[in-house]
Amino acid sequence: MLRIENLTKTYGAQKAVDDLSLHIRPGEIYGFIGHNGAGKTTTLKSVVGILNFDKGEIYINGSSIKTNPVECKRLIAYIPDNPDLYDFMSGIKYLNFIADIYGVSPDERQEKIRKYADAFELTKDLAQPISSYSHGMKQKLAVISAWIHSPRLIIMDEPFVGLDPKAAFTLKEMMHELCDNGGAIFFSTHVLEVAEKLCDKIAIIKQGRLIKSGTMEEVRGDESLEEVFLELEAE
Amino acid sequence: MLKVLLKKQLAEVFRGYFFNRKTNKARYKANTVFMFILFAFIMIVLLGGVFTFVALGMCGGLTSAGVGWLYFDLMSGIAILLGAFGSVFNTYSGLYLPKDNDLLLSMPIPVRTIIISRLLNVYLLGAMYSGVVMLPTLFVYWFVAGTTVLNVICGIILFLIVTAIVLILSCLLGWVVAKISLKLKNKSFITVIISVTFFALYYFVYFKSQEWIRVLVANATLYGQNIKSSASVLYMFGRIGEGDPIATAIFTAATAALLALTIFILSRGFLKIATSTASVGKTEYREKKAKEKSAFGALLTKEFARFTSSPNYMLNCGFGVLLLPAAGVLLLIKGTEFLSVIGTVLRGRTDQVALLLCAMLMLVSTMNEMAAPSVSLEGKSIWIPQSLPVEAKTVLRAKAAVQVILTGIPMAFALVCSMIVLQATVAEKIMVCAAALLFTLFTAMFNSFVGTKNPILNWTSEIIPIKQSSTMLIALFGGWGFVALFAVPYFFIGNAIGLVPYLTIWSAIYLIAALLLYRWLNTKGARMFAEL
Repeated sequence: MLRIENLTKTYGAQKAVDDLSLHIRPGEIYGFIGHNGAGKTTTLKSVVGILNFDKGEIYINGSSIKTNPVECKRLIAYIPDNPDLYDFMSGIKYLNFIADIYGVSPDERQEKIRKYADAFELTKDLAQPISSYSHGMKQKLAVISAWIHSPRLIIMDEPFVGLDPKAAFTLKEMMHELCDNGGAIFFSTHVLEVAEKLCDKIAIIKQGRLIKSGTMEEVRGDESLEEVFLELEAE
Repeated sequence: MLKVLLKKQLAEVFRGYFFNRKTNKARYKANTVFMFILFAFIMIVLLGGVFTFVALGMCGGLTSAGVGWLYFDLMSGIAILLGAFGSVFNTYSGLYLPKDNDLLLSMPIPVRTIIISRLLNVYLLGAMYSGVVMLPTLFVYWFVAGTTVLNVICGIILFLIVTAIVLILSCLLGWVVAKISLKLKNKSFITVIISVTFFALYYFVYFKSQEWIRVLVANATLYGQNIKSSASVLYMFGRIGEGDPIATAIFTAATAALLALTIFILSRGFLKIATSTASVGKTEYREKKAKEKSAFGALLTKEFARFTSSPNYMLNCGFGVLLLPAAGVLLLIKGTEFLSVIGTVLRGRTDQVALLLCAMLMLVSTMNEMAAPSVSLEGKSIWIPQSLPVEAKTVLRAKAAVQVILTGIPMAFALVCSMIVLQATVAEKIMVCAAALLFTLFTAMFNSFVGTKNPILNWTSEIIPIKQSSTMLIALFGGWGFVALFAVPYFFIGNAIGLVPYLTIWSAIYLIAALLLYRWLNTKGARMFAEL
């Protein structure tokens, strides 16, 4: 589903991501952890085609994000770390805008909006301008907009920040449902307990370099993910 | 505490002079000096010059008629109007909408201290605007009537009183706007309507003022006596400028009391307003089937939504939407008369009249420049179009299309109205229409080009990309320059070429330039947008 090969991205003289390779298969929830400034967001932004990278390749379902960006973007959805949405739109207008861009039929989008807005208890606020939303409400809207076009791959940067416990639970359910249906999820998080319980596989990045990756069991062994992470960080 | 806040506030006010807003890097010293000189030139030479002429027109006549106080009343009135009404929306946003309000309110700082530091911003703006009227007023008076210790001291105090009145009025009006903003729906349109009404009133007064001043100076004694007997407060106020110490003392005390009262009232309501997030009744969501749009249609709708959601955007970049149809209607009503006057001035050269009419409509259309700040307005949400499965060129096309539509349709209406009253051959009329419409297409592409080349994405207030960026300066002056380039040569080579061939050449130039710019947007511009 997603193959990252030797990804390298520099900002001036600073290497933000250094020769990173990962492979995320259909049905996998892949966690991406690392300290602040480790290169997680740069990697995720490169995957969704927002950032150009210097070396390497990123393939989504076999297509290169460099040479076929539009084709790749049709298959993915992205939720950034800070949901800066169009404040001048109402929630429903934003969802319809996204649905129009992805060519979601009126019936399908109506059904999806009803399902997910109800699940996140956002239905009654959909007519309100996004500028009046709290951070958590914006995050919920961003999640709904990501799911509205049935993507095959979802890229999320710290998706649980700002969500209340119930919404966080709903999101986890949605993640499982998507992967059960053959989709894949690649997301960054600082909440190691969440990663430990939710992810099938995990990758740990430090100063732009991948230092460990694999199934949860392979990465943590007999220890907790937190212990492994702190040990690796200390090295 | 206050000192720290004042320092922060001043750093914010003058940040643009020391730091490049686009790159957030410190400007070179020479650049900063140039910015200050440019600012001083605009304020002192251009605006100050205009009001020096107004003061010179009034001062001699009124002082020689023994009603110098009336001169101060009138000029102070202009200063107060310019200062207070000109900055009412800035007062609202400066007092109640700064992004650090929550942060400061959470700190152990008395609310009154925050307000006073914020008011400094408002005061500086008001003092600047009223200063361009009051300083020429005082200098002209001292030049005409001579200086004494008393009239110089009282004159300076009058200036300070005027700035304080401006501050009080700005605060009260800003407070009213804040209150209304919390209650109103469709704020954007109401703000635009109020602003347009104000502009219309302003220009009405501006064009009538010469006549009013002439009548006033001619009947100064009579008007003076009437005002003195029926509105003695105005008489006393004007006396300050003439050096009356009693009037000065009374008004200084009254203004100080009013200012204290204003700050007291503001501090009581500030917390509530500054921390409110619109108490407008919630719009109820009713599920309904959406109409499916193409990707381009969705992007275009989004651009229109952005345009209509912001009064600042509409007023600063879309005034032509109103002015072009208004010009058309005006031409229908007064066009025959107006064009015959121009025809007389041009010694019956109907070709030159047609050309000037075309240039005039082009000039009005340059008030529309919504494509210029469009890329910058994406701001932090630029990740949305960049991560969606649409090509960057489609995004840029939608941005340019908004200006093409919002200028092209009003221009077409104005042209239809113009053609009814214009005395010209059919060929000339067709070419006037073609040149004007192709000009709107060209300027839309040009503004998109400038906006894509110079984006500012890290703004904290939308005013920066809309009003205070180099992009807007290039778009505005560029537009005027293109109109001048179109109109002026005709008066030298028009005889040799003839109107129809001249307009045909320009139409071809606009079409080719528009196509080249469109190609740039689709290729290099799209790459630049994708890499932002």
